[in-house]
Amino acid sequence: MSMKTWLLGLSLLVVVAFGSQDLPGEETKAGKAPVVKVTKLTVFPTSLELNGKRDSRRLIVSGVDVEGHVFDISAQATVKAGGPQVSVDRDGFIVPEKTGAAKVIVTAGGLTTEIPVVVKDVTDHPVSFVREIIPVISKVGCNAGTCHGAQKGKNGFKLSLRGYDPLFDYGALIDDLSGRRFNRSQPNQSLMLLKPTQGVPHEGGFLFDEQSRKYSLIEQWIAEGCRFDKATRTVRIEVFPTKPLLETVESVQQLVVVAHYDDGTSRDVTRDVVFETSDFEVAIVSDSGQIEAVRRGEAAALVRYEGRYAAAPVSIIGKREGFVWKESPEHNFVDRLVNAKLQRMKILPSGLNTDEEFLRRISIDLTGMPPSVEQVKAFLVDKRPSKVKREAKVDELISSPGFVDHWTLKWSDLLLSNSKFITEKGAWAFRNWIRRAITTNMPYDRFVFQLMTASGSTFENPAANYYRISREPRVVMENMTQVFIGTRFQCNRCHDHPFERWTQRQYYELSAYFAGVGRKPGPTKGEEIIFSLSTPQDIKHPTTGEVVPAAFPFVVKLDDKQPAQTDPRLKLAAWLTTRENPYFAKSLVNRYWSYFLGRGIIDPVDDIRASNPPSNPALLDALQEDFVKGGFDVKALIRRITFSHTYQRTFRPNKWNTEDALNFSHAAPRRLTAEQLYDALHVATGAPSTIAGMPEGFRATQIPDPKVKIGFLDMFGRPPRESPCECERSSDVSLSQTLNLINGPTVANAIIHPQGRVAKLIAAKADSATLVKEVYLAVICRAPAEAELKQAVEFVTKVGNPAEAAQDLMWALINSPAFLFNR
Amino acid sequence: MRLKVVLLTMCLLSTSALAQEKKDKPSDEKPISFYRQVRPVLQRHCSGCHFPAKQSGKLMLTSFSAFKKGGENGAAFMPGQPEKSLIVEYVSGDDPAMPLGADPLDPQQIDLISRWIAQGAKDDTPPTVQDNISAENPPRYASAPVITALDYSPDSKLLAISGYREILVHAADGSGLQARLVGRSQRIESVRFSPDGKLVGAAGGTPGLFGEVQFWDHSAKKLVRSITISYDTLFGARFSDDGKQFSFGGADNSARVINVADGKQVMRLDAHSDWVFCSTFSLKGSHLITVSRDRAMKLTIIESGQFVDNVTSITPGALKGGLIAVQRRPGVDQVLAGGSDGRPRLYKVFRTRKRIIGDDFNHIRSYKKMPGRIFDLQFNKTGDRFVAGSSSATGGAARIYKVGKFDTPKINNDGGLGVVRQQIVQRSKQPMLVHELAGVESPVYCVAFRPDGQQVAVGGFDGTVRLFDAKSGKLIKKFVPVTVTPAVTAKK
Repeated sequence: MSMKTWLLGLSLLVVVAFGSQDLPGEETKAGKAPVVKVTKLTVFPTSLELNGKRDSRRLIVSGVDVEGHVFDISAQATVKAGGPQVSVDRDGFIVPEKTGAAKVIVTAGGLTTEIPVVVKDVTDHPVSFVREIIPVISKVGCNAGTCHGAQKGKNGFKLSLRGYDPLFDYGALIDDLSGRRFNRSQPNQSLMLLKPTQGVPHEGGFLFDEQSRKYSLIEQWIAEGCRFDKATRTVRIEVFPTKPLLETVESVQQLVVVAHYDDGTSRDVTRDVVFETSDFEVAIVSDSGQIEAVRRGEAAALVRYEGRYAAAPVSIIGKREGFVWKESPEHNFVDRLVNAKLQRMKILPSGLNTDEEFLRRISIDLTGMPPSVEQVKAFLVDKRPSKVKREAKVDELISSPGFVDHWTLKWSDLLLSNSKFITEKGAWAFRNWIRRAITTNMPYDRFVFQLMTASGSTFENPAANYYRISREPRVVMENMTQVFIGTRFQCNRCHDHPFERWTQRQYYELSAYFAGVGRKPGPTKGEEIIFSLSTPQDIKHPTTGEVVPAAFPFVVKLDDKQPAQTDPRLKLAAWLTTRENPYFAKSLVNRYWSYFLGRGIIDPVDDIRASNPPSNPALLDALQEDFVKGGFDVKALIRRITFSHTYQRTFRPNKWNTEDALNFSHAAPRRLTAEQLYDALHVATGAPSTIAGMPEGFRATQIPDPKVKIGFLDMFGRPPRESPCECERSSDVSLSQTLNLINGPTVANAIIHPQGRVAKLIAAKADSATLVKEVYLAVICRAPAEAELKQAVEFVTKVGNPAEAAQDLMWALINSPAFLFNR
Repeated sequence: MRLKVVLLTMCLLSTSALAQEKKDKPSDEKPISFYRQVRPVLQRHCSGCHFPAKQSGKLMLTSFSAFKKGGENGAAFMPGQPEKSLIVEYVSGDDPAMPLGADPLDPQQIDLISRWIAQGAKDDTPPTVQDNISAENPPRYASAPVITALDYSPDSKLLAISGYREILVHAADGSGLQARLVGRSQRIESVRFSPDGKLVGAAGGTPGLFGEVQFWDHSAKKLVRSITISYDTLFGARFSDDGKQFSFGGADNSARVINVADGKQVMRLDAHSDWVFCSTFSLKGSHLITVSRDRAMKLTIIESGQFVDNVTSITPGALKGGLIAVQRRPGVDQVLAGGSDGRPRLYKVFRTRKRIIGDDFNHIRSYKKMPGRIFDLQFNKTGDRFVAGSSSATGGAARIYKVGKFDTPKINNDGGLGVVRQQIVQRSKQPMLVHELAGVESPVYCVAFRPDGQQVAVGGFDGTVRLFDAKSGKLIKKFVPVTVTPAVTAKK
């Protein structure tokens, strides 16, 4: 045992003894990771300025070892006041006592350092209900959804969910039951202090004690007369360190959170923010804001305060003994940024996939269909360098009719093209409008602008179907935000968004842009006219009943090119589609990335929010910038992604990237979607696809409308096109799917089809080897390996009936992951 | 990893060794304090379930005496014998029975309880915290308490006002404090003079602990009767017109009627599904009308306790939020009610035709909406005017309304709901507001109309009583009913 480990043990003992006397909720502990010799101490922040009696601040103390590793030792550090101007409270915060300058002395690991502190003001300002009391209530969880924040409150006491409505909460605490919950005459007899301290029984339990800062804040506020104030809430919260990197499992990192206000002031709110982790299997975050590394991986420390949200991405490297970074080819900026992250996380990317694998993947991703036997053969005999012919293949497929079919399906899903809403004729018309946009590679901003501003007959201007599908202002708004800016405004319909800064009011303000959309029947049957109402309908706030005027939830600078608009929809479309909109392009590139890599950089792709941070922000930013610079050219974006080494990596992991699911170090096999599976089955078996009501050979991908019933497609998760959520398309794997593939008629009938591949091969009297090779090429888009060929030929010989043997072989391959997955 | 386990074991060994050492020398041990050491453990970990309103296992752990008494399984502890004490058994072991659904107590905490029992389980709760407030040592006020209840004496000479732990009886003109009726309840939710003016009856209690009815001989400053009822405060009391009965609602969703003479319960109603905030007797004293946070106004026969009817519409959405105040109009079987929607409404007490789903047939008329919620209302003695007070949390209002004259609604037995509704709407359009009482800016929780009809009194959040001339609506006087000694706050 080395000395180091003994030190660890000792520190552990100290912590155990000390921790037991500490109070719940506010404790921090030293990390259990090995204590190494510290050669330097650093303190964050490097100086302090305190304004007002309650402006206390905490420090983060870091140690640097000989190798330059930085680690948090805040919990072991002792912090002392260097003068009467400040003191240190029981949570280790620096508290102003007298105006003037002083030093704070920090000792840890045998080293001592100092930081200067200036106390500008020690005025004991009245406690603010909005800025100080509500955060305490949120912090201890009184207003949590499981407690008094529940829709009906708890035991007759209801608060607004997570404190989104301070006035309501003030009424509940002060006005309900004629002031039952406070006692101005004897503040310490107030129910709102007796309940959380268990002075009277409280089913919610003990939350803080009489000596805590929380208690004295509330007590002071009551003694000051329970005033309501109109203080503005914080405009921004900042988390330090911004990107916590923890080298080893069980090490810790203290966070400090600073709230900024519109008057330029700021406060250390670390003790009052609510901390959560995005993945408790990777890292946990204590009530006091201390991250503890659980295992290697990535998570986010989520911070919530006064309706604002922030996230600090936490990386835990863990022991990676023997890891050596090897350069991986960089085809373009995508690879550079992906690899930078991989190198930081000590993950080694996989190599390129084979040409056969590439061809199958790119064909499915771009056209929704695997390559034909002829295409596979042609690609393999192409002697150009692999990179050249791969890029040529992308160019070829991106201009093919299959590309139009495949992406029309995607956008028809997202835009809910459904005959239930827009009649069958409408669904065809809308589909054809989308097809034209994709065929001509209409710039994405123009595509969306046309949709958002569409008017007139739904038959003559099919884009107007957008307003036929969503018939209420708030529904249009919900769909618009989810599809085009990747956010979920439906969450803030009944209360402020529980995970983002969006307010309930903004929900109605944004809806109001669609309040002037009129709908009336057109001259021909089934036609509808979308027009502008001369008097828009009133959009009312559900709780106040007030008519809400149209307003944007965030301000963007509009392009100079676009003239000032008066029509609210034109205004909205300009705001939405401008390059300055921070969500518009980002949401699209992220969505498209997920189509090719199996996972968004932000995931789910239509749930962009501060508490759901991107796994690689630099990559997302670069893709967005590239896309915007290129004039919202979707095909260029696709080329950028598919040309990258990252996209072309094999799905086979190596020793250093098996557990990676976030950083695109290897391809993620994706189950074929319903339509892809159906179409691939027909390509593989050679059986013609016959879809009721559609021309023969019509692909499932080309179906205009979910009304066309095919049980097979529904079983494999075809979306009903009723919700714009990407999650409407299910990629689940179920037992019934498996049974259907093994025993179901769709597969069996295609294999034994008299015009099918096997039948034709038999008719042409193909020998066993040819039979096997062709079946392999057709089903899994590659030739059999030597051993596979030998085994399969033996099988054919043994069965004696070549047709039956070939069918069995085909059936077996169809039921293999190589066919069922895009990988 | 292994090393850590070893160290932890060492650590555990050393604590148990220490404990062992201590057990061997009990004589050296410092006495354990029930109040400062044991009670906090019970409060934090146990009393959330074992408190008066819940009493899991029929056990209460909110006071020493209740703790000593124990629950359905017997006494909670045997002084001097921790090993025979139920509480020690319940919280000890690898998988302790208690606390239910929560982390086990720390070994130190269990040790603490055991040692306290071993030392004889003495109660050292200081007298100061037990109850140091009495008539001789009346409450002192750091700032004016919120006024939750007001009532004039029938002779219009006195005004009873709620305080903290007491009822303050002032001269009706605000010229001086006549009596301080100091009791046990922290909150006086409702105060009423008896019709003969001899008694002051009050309903209140201490939140989360008990509810209480008090009857005072106010001239003698003597508490005639105190009745502890339920485990939280009581609300909305009334004397019957003959002064023989007293009604009130409670946080236990019940309403009760008791005899004034002997305090015996006459009737208990459990038909409400939420707290009952106010009650009033029918003209002949045969029925009780109650309003609740459950939005309903219920009519009950007192003698039999039989529920008769919901006076208001029971259609979902017909009323928003709960009802808070109700009073029967003098001389007639009509009731005035107010609550969360801020609109005073007048109803007939008794239904004169069969209910049709969706009707609100007993509704006679509505009055101009007040800001926020109505907390209190009171008729004048003749029943042609009323005063109402409301709060919007950050502001409040008090108003005097005319009741107004109206025809008896035409009854159309073959339906005709629309006609009835129209009549109500028509009637409700008449402007019946007489005075908006100026100077009321903070929440109003209680109002009273002086029996001689000359003045109204208004109280609420700001702790100040305001007296208004009922004819002109002008403010006559305002005063804080208690003496404020801010020194109390300077305890630190």
